[in-house]
Amino acid sequence: MLDMTSGNSRGSFRAEVPTYAAAVEAWLASRPAAFVAAARPVASYAERVAVTSDLMRVLFDEGWARYGWPEAVGGLGGDILHRAAMWEALARHGLPAMALFEHLEILAPTLVAMGDQDFVAGVLPRFLSGEERWSQGFSEPDAGSDLASARTRAVAVDGGYAITGRKIWTSWARYATWCLVLARTGTTQSRHRGLTAFAVDLRSPGVEVRAIEQANGTDELAEVTFDEVLVGPDRIVGERSGGWRVAMHILAHERGTFGWFRHGFLYRQLFDNLAQGSPSPAGDTLLGNALLDLAAVRASSHAGLRAHAAGAALGPQAAFVKLMLAAGEQAVNDWVLATDPDLAVGMQDDYVAVRRQDYLFSRIVTVYGGSQQMQLDTIAKQILRLP
Amino acid sequence: MTSVTEQADREFVDAACLALRAPTDGGDPLDALGWWDLLSELSDRDARAAALALFRAQGRELFGSAALGGLMAQPFLVATGLPPGSLVATVSRWSPRRGERLVVVGDVAGAALLIDRPGHGAAVVASDQVELHPVAVAGRLAMYEVELGPCIWTATVAERTAEPARARGRFLGRLAMALEILGAAEGALALAVAHAATREQFGQPIGAFQAVRHLLAWARTDCVALEAVTTVAVRLDEATPPRHDEIVKALAGRNGRRVCERALQVLGAIGFTTEHDHHHFHSRVLALDALLGTSAELTHALGAWFRETGTDPAAPAAVLLSE
Ligand SMILES: Cc1cc2nc3c(=O)[nH]c(=O)nc-3n(C[C@H](O)[C@H](O)[C@H](O)COP(=O)(O)OP(=O)(O)OC[C@H]3O[C@@H](n4cnc5c(N)ncnc54)[C@H](O)[C@@H]3O)c2cc1C
Repeated sequence: MLDMTSGNSRGSFRAEVPTYAAAVEAWLASRPAAFVAAARPVASYAERVAVTSDLMRVLFDEGWARYGWPEAVGGLGGDILHRAAMWEALARHGLPAMALFEHLEILAPTLVAMGDQDFVAGVLPRFLSGEERWSQGFSEPDAGSDLASARTRAVAVDGGYAITGRKIWTSWARYATWCLVLARTGTTQSRHRGLTAFAVDLRSPGVEVRAIEQANGTDELAEVTFDEVLVGPDRIVGERSGGWRVAMHILAHERGTFGWFRHGFLYRQLFDNLAQGSPSPAGDTLLGNALLDLAAVRASSHAGLRAHAAGAALGPQAAFVKLMLAAGEQAVNDWVLATDPDLAVGMQDDYVAVRRQDYLFSRIVTVYGGSQQMQLDTIAKQILRLP
Repeated sequence: MTSVTEQADREFVDAACLALRAPTDGGDPLDALGWWDLLSELSDRDARAAALALFRAQGRELFGSAALGGLMAQPFLVATGLPPGSLVATVSRWSPRRGERLVVVGDVAGAALLIDRPGHGAAVVASDQVELHPVAVAGRLAMYEVELGPCIWTATVAERTAEPARARGRFLGRLAMALEILGAAEGALALAVAHAATREQFGQPIGAFQAVRHLLAWARTDCVALEAVTTVAVRLDEATPPRHDEIVKALAGRNGRRVCERALQVLGAIGFTTEHDHHHFHSRVLALDALLGTSAELTHALGAWFRETGTDPAAPAAVLLSE
């Protein structure tokens, strides 16, 4: 175990991602109990949330999960490459998914870059340690792909803002303490210019979270209603009326760098499927295609990580990674389905149930985070500059 | 995240494109680029990137040279005692009709040919000892089938030496071909994008129709995927995992063909004519896909290999992340 207080090891770890990665690997090789528990396939999503949160607490206590985050907000310094190395190691050693901690790589970079620093210094360590979780309140019943038409309102009142409206498809809201809500502070016609991002405490009076049962059994989705929920002015993330920028920053991570974090678990799926029984050679071409697609996600998301680590903004290019990641996830699961019919018709023990959950989920990955059609539109307009 | 290609890599490609495009006035653009000198420095990352950038430029500019065979022969130079540029590797392929065929790309006059026989070593044969039959496919690709009298082949490089050189030559050759496919796909896509902006139907440019826009966006995505994968492979070189050259080459063939097909759909009938350059890009992609393993063969074989061995196919994170 590392002495996290020693300036010496801390300094060298910060500079040396491979040393850090090797230390994480060595720690994982000792099979810590929290890791073993989180690596077991469990069909119950609530249980998965619990064991993954336990793992985060241990990763935090050991210091591993604090690398890659600025010291000013509770981290130990370093950058996204540390985080990339940690999650890669966890996936390689058998963790099946990040589960709701995906938001550490989707939301948290934006909180750190644009949130009130005192507020972030208070909440980030609790997020990193699994004690508090976050959700993303963008979509509404009438605002899906057309996010700029969101109608949830934030009205200035004494002591801050009162938020009223309805968010839907809010992943992990039922397990979360916080929700980053995109609300309208401008007129109804103001579209993307009149939106502001608020960090809303879901324990506040006026918040109601309704779970939505999913077709694949991993019940992460929820509908969240806000009825004059009071939030302080320091809970604005970014600028007032700057919510669109915040949302785009988040979505650039969700579409770009996140590809690295998720694709490690797709390789994991390949190894797991191999370890279970003997897959038929009939799927070899599908499997080969999955290897090609994953190589593409790995290389392109790696370029995104490097650019981000170098301080470059993630632009519309993130759409490429998003398309490749979805293609890779579907290719992997095409192979899994082709070689493991149990997931369609077999007895659903935990292992098979998780395969089935993953397979079905892979059919919707072209919708969340901006649908495939929206990514293609972005590329056509902003990159190819078609008329 | 401006592009997956580093600035320096892009400059290499641009410089190579310029050199290939410039009027030749008898001079060889490869000489002008100092390309053959790079072959003795392939262990240097920048030299390697510059050397391989030529192939992407060749694809974009529909330029033909003997660079591919020269690159594949590079690992044999020490054993044969020949200087860069004087030895060009032939590529063996299997014809379902005519059995094994040896192919060379580009003008090989004056060079010696490397004829490699896995399991038996390799031979250096003077180009006047063989007959070269031009292969008539589009693509502005000078390609020849090499006909060799039955008794001429005798190993001049022992199998022990030839084996690692062959593996290295194939690795380099597959990367080079993948980059040339990328360049050709980019060439095809650029024509289709330009066409979509100017060709009007129903009173507007066809590029205003979402169906057309999405075809082109997918094509660009396939190019970016290939660009990212080749960039990493060139950078990592021998630190790539086993069979990574096959992954790169398979992806190139698959994506390259997809890009050309989507571009063709956008071009409409004009793209299906010899009056339009599309067919050159498309044919070049098909020809390169057919050498050193087609994407279909490689993809299937890679799947079988992973299923049977469970070898980790991913480029090592420790190397990628420490860059
Ligand atoms: C698993 C999952 C998790 C999610 N998590 C979250 C979350 O945590 N927070 C959150 O805010 N949201 C979340 N979402 C919501 C997600 O962002 C939306 O589903 C997505 O933006 C699409 O919106 P929609 O479902 O309303 O579909 P619509 O926008 O109604 O689209 C339906 C179909 O029409 C197509 N379409 C729409 N407009 C066009 C157009 N102009 N041109 C061409 N095609 C078009 C779409 O591509 C899609 O195929 C999640 C969704 C899923 C599936």
